[in-house]
Amino acid sequence: MISRRQFVAAPALIGPALIGLSRKTDRPVTGGFVNDSFPLGHRLRDRAAFPKPAQQLRVPIVIVGGGMAGLSAAWHLDKRGFHDFVLLEMEQQAGGNSRWGENEISRFPWAAHYVPVPAKGDSLARELFEELGVLRDGKWDERVLCFDPQERLFINGRWQEGIEPEDGATPKDRAQYRRFMEKIGEFRSTGQFTVPMENRAKASPLDRMSMADWLVQQGFGSAPLGWYVNYACRDDYGALAKDTSAWAGIQYFASREPEEKGPLTWPEGNGWIAARLIDKLKRYLRTGGMVYGVVRSGNTIRVLTERTEYVADALIWAAPTFLASYVIEGAPRAEGFQYSPWLTANLTLDRIPDQKNAEPAWDNVIYDSPALGYVNATHMSLATHVDRTVWTFYWSLAEYRPEEGRRLLLARDWNYWKEAILNDLARAHPDIRQCVAHIDIMRIGHAMARPSPGFLFSEERGRWLKPAGNMFFANSDLSGFSIFEEAQYRGVEAARGALRVVGRA
Amino acid sequence: MSIALFLSVFLIAACGLIYELIAGTLASYLLGDTIFQFSTIIGCYLFAMGIGSYLSRFLHRGLVARFVSIELMVGVVGGFSSSLLFLAFAYTEAFRLVLYVVVILVGTLVGLEIPLLMRILKERFQFRELVSHVLTFDYLGALGASLLFPILLVPKLGLVRSALVFGIFNAGVALWSTYLFREQIGRSHYLRAGCFVVVALLGVGTIFADRISNAADNSLYADEVIFSRTTPYQRIVLTKWKDDLRLFLNSHLQFSSRDEYRYHEALVHPGLAALPGAHHVLVLGGGDGLAVREILKYPSVESITLVDLDPEMTRLFSTHPVMSGLNQHSLTNARVHVINADAFRWLDTNTEQYDFIVADFPDPTSYALGKLFTTAFYRLAAKHLASGGLIVVQSTSPLFARQSYWCIVESVKQAGLRVYPYHVYVPSFGEWGYVIGSFEPYEPPKQLPSGLRFLSTANVAELFVFPVDMQPVPAEPNRLNDQVLVRYYEQEWKDVAH
Ligand SMILES: Cc1cc2nc3c(=O)[nH]c(=O)nc-3n(C[C@H](O)[C@H](O)[C@H](O)COP(=O)(O)OP(=O)(O)OC[C@H]3O[C@@H](n4cnc5c(N)ncnc54)[C@H](O)[C@@H]3O)c2cc1C
Repeated sequence: MISRRQFVAAPALIGPALIGLSRKTDRPVTGGFVNDSFPLGHRLRDRAAFPKPAQQLRVPIVIVGGGMAGLSAAWHLDKRGFHDFVLLEMEQQAGGNSRWGENEISRFPWAAHYVPVPAKGDSLARELFEELGVLRDGKWDERVLCFDPQERLFINGRWQEGIEPEDGATPKDRAQYRRFMEKIGEFRSTGQFTVPMENRAKASPLDRMSMADWLVQQGFGSAPLGWYVNYACRDDYGALAKDTSAWAGIQYFASREPEEKGPLTWPEGNGWIAARLIDKLKRYLRTGGMVYGVVRSGNTIRVLTERTEYVADALIWAAPTFLASYVIEGAPRAEGFQYSPWLTANLTLDRIPDQKNAEPAWDNVIYDSPALGYVNATHMSLATHVDRTVWTFYWSLAEYRPEEGRRLLLARDWNYWKEAILNDLARAHPDIRQCVAHIDIMRIGHAMARPSPGFLFSEERGRWLKPAGNMFFANSDLSGFSIFEEAQYRGVEAARGALRVVGRA
Repeated sequence: MSIALFLSVFLIAACGLIYELIAGTLASYLLGDTIFQFSTIIGCYLFAMGIGSYLSRFLHRGLVARFVSIELMVGVVGGFSSSLLFLAFAYTEAFRLVLYVVVILVGTLVGLEIPLLMRILKERFQFRELVSHVLTFDYLGALGASLLFPILLVPKLGLVRSALVFGIFNAGVALWSTYLFREQIGRSHYLRAGCFVVVALLGVGTIFADRISNAADNSLYADEVIFSRTTPYQRIVLTKWKDDLRLFLNSHLQFSSRDEYRYHEALVHPGLAALPGAHHVLVLGGGDGLAVREILKYPSVESITLVDLDPEMTRLFSTHPVMSGLNQHSLTNARVHVINADAFRWLDTNTEQYDFIVADFPDPTSYALGKLFTTAFYRLAAKHLASGGLIVVQSTSPLFARQSYWCIVESVKQAGLRVYPYHVYVPSFGEWGYVIGSFEPYEPPKQLPSGLRFLSTANVAELFVFPVDMQPVPAEPNRLNDQVLVRYYEQEWKDVAH
């Protein structure tokens, strides 16, 4: 008497089969480019004329850039009881690469969408998460740990759980996966690969070779393993394995040893963290005003926006480092810094594509796609039934040189990218065009610092790590790769330095 | 002589129609969509008969022997058709392929019968008379079969046995023909022996018919589908077999009206009867209103809030005469408030507290449903318990899915509640498990409402005793980020099915 069990689902199959006969025609998709930031950036690059600010304000500390780094700097100052500062952000919405959006279906991320569960050693991240109520008495709130199933991969015409290619892997491939993980384990036990990286990183010859060369050197010839490692580099650094420092490639795998199945995520991705920080810090925040000039005068620094000139004792530069030479008088060009261009898109689906018996995961990746797959915004909903959703589609234009990629981003129109995205998704979801109603696309020219071989332990990066007198650099790109924890660490470090300058250390 | 001849026409016509009706009925039962099934099956069958008639021209010599062997083939294929189809549905993915192959095969063979018979008889009758008689008896046979089928065969014999019995008729006609046309075929020992073998085979089949249908029938709707609807949330199917009503959601049996009282009495009373002061009750899931029916037996209960995802489900069980009869119109009772919402989200956005909460969700067959069995869910539900309150959770079978069951118990426990696991035997489900969660120590009730059919003060405490084969096994708690339950469950039911 076995009753509630699942058996041949024939009754469930016939409906879709009949519907399949009357294939609906593709529907029009609305949308456009959103959040373009390059017009502002290009004004700086082209040294356009800016109006003189009407008012002058004396403020001991000025933070430029309201991304995670700038917000973290402000968080630290505020926590130390220092309230005499401003945080200047050129966009209307702070958050930078951790910005988010919202429509009638869900909130969704525009870029950063998760934080791996911070290890015990990452005390800053844990401090923040305790403050936000996500970590209580050493326990992580189940509701922000990515729900099961976390990841899946579309390979050989079907979905598998997890993104390490299992489907079709030979015993040889599996042996290589195991050896790779053993190697990573060895690196982990050196203690040099930590988050944030500056904690324990030691100059290493690994940084002078590419991740792809390292794989070859170690005899890792397995094609699916190669795909997996390359995917990791594209996903975390926006670069192919052959353009990524082997040290950085290894850091991605070796720095994490989560105590809990994660990562931490929210419908709006890291926008959830940004929103909470913005809410805590709103009295310091000035959005919608670009800093176009920074000029030293004596011991003070004049920070120019179109409305106001701030006269400060210390400056925290949390905007991308490469912009410094366009804005800060006398600042050298950040020659060694390379940035990957990215494209992200938020797709509104008012029907869920047919899943062919596979349950949707949070992160959904298509094998051998040039793009990185999509993250499902409603995955973190408590609901058991979802009939509409938002997908965030990620595409690091890794196979191009960064300048080429940026040119391409600007050259092609929305329709081109829309088609490219839908064609890519159609490989795993043939009915995607009947489900998508709207696609907003965001083009980010300098999206992510690239840890190119040789950069992490270069003299140039070392120079930017040191403050220039009372100017402190804080963007996550100083770590050579930008992730939430690096942004937070850089922001807090810079804030500590600035507090010393104003005598409040 | 001629009467005997035309009687066999009558019989083979009836047999042919019966097989067609069986195929159509079975396909409608199993696949739903009666119109589609009957249209396509009748179409294929008639077309196959056409093929048979066409093929008859290629048969030249030994017509009687051919006719006899075709009868025997019809008898075997048609006779075993419903057994084969049930088994194909239960054990293979190729039900529809088997269905149409069987229909075409039987149709082709039946299509051969009448043309052959007419050619055999053409020496004995005038052509005008022959056509008139044969067709008259053919159509009479069809009428007989179509009346017999719904009135007598399906209710009395069932589909498996009806087919077998008519297979025997075919074989009988074959045997009879070897006597009727003995001059034409001469020595016919082989043929006769064949007839006996087929009759014996089908006879044995008839004896084992119950076993065959039981083998296939475990979880199929082998009964008449009296209602079926696909809503945005699920497929609701209600079947009826004599006085047994069964509800299936997405092909999973939810209850059988013969024994659902066991399930629902055990779900509600061990908890609620232990709370004499209970005023406010929350039922999550359970849109069939059967748990609510039990709760309404407590005059002290002032309000019952039922939260079910599917408006169609609660509407049906409020208004459909058969379904609302089953729950004794519980959903339209003035004390009952029906809310159509996703339970986890609804709880998350509400602050009300309840003395008694019933979590009666479908089994965790997917990660989506598995969320309703997580520590996070129970922690949230616990926040909605008034002081001294209890929650009861339907927790799948501790016998068939032992680790799944204890995983649910562990999850309730990890949410900070004391746990009181218990179980009951429900014939249509097997052993079924529940767990009561509570902040305060709990004791089984000493008093129960009157009029219960299964529970009594004598046996309620026994429910909490687990025989050795259902006792606790180690299990991780089910958490949103690591739904071990969904994996345990899939594995355990797979093992049971094999
Ligand atoms: C597509 C994508 C996906 C990502 N996914 C993840 C992820 O999942 N997890 C993760 O940890 N990290 C992710 N990242 C990395 C992300 O960059 C970091 O997590 C972090 O948000 C970086 O913060 P930041 O403050 O260092 O830099 P930014 O976010 O770049 O912030 C710089 C800020 O400065 C402002 N600004 C620039 N110039 C001026 C000016 N002249 N005046 C005033 N303001 C100015 C900008 O508008 C911006 O708000 C992702 C990045 C991208 C591009």
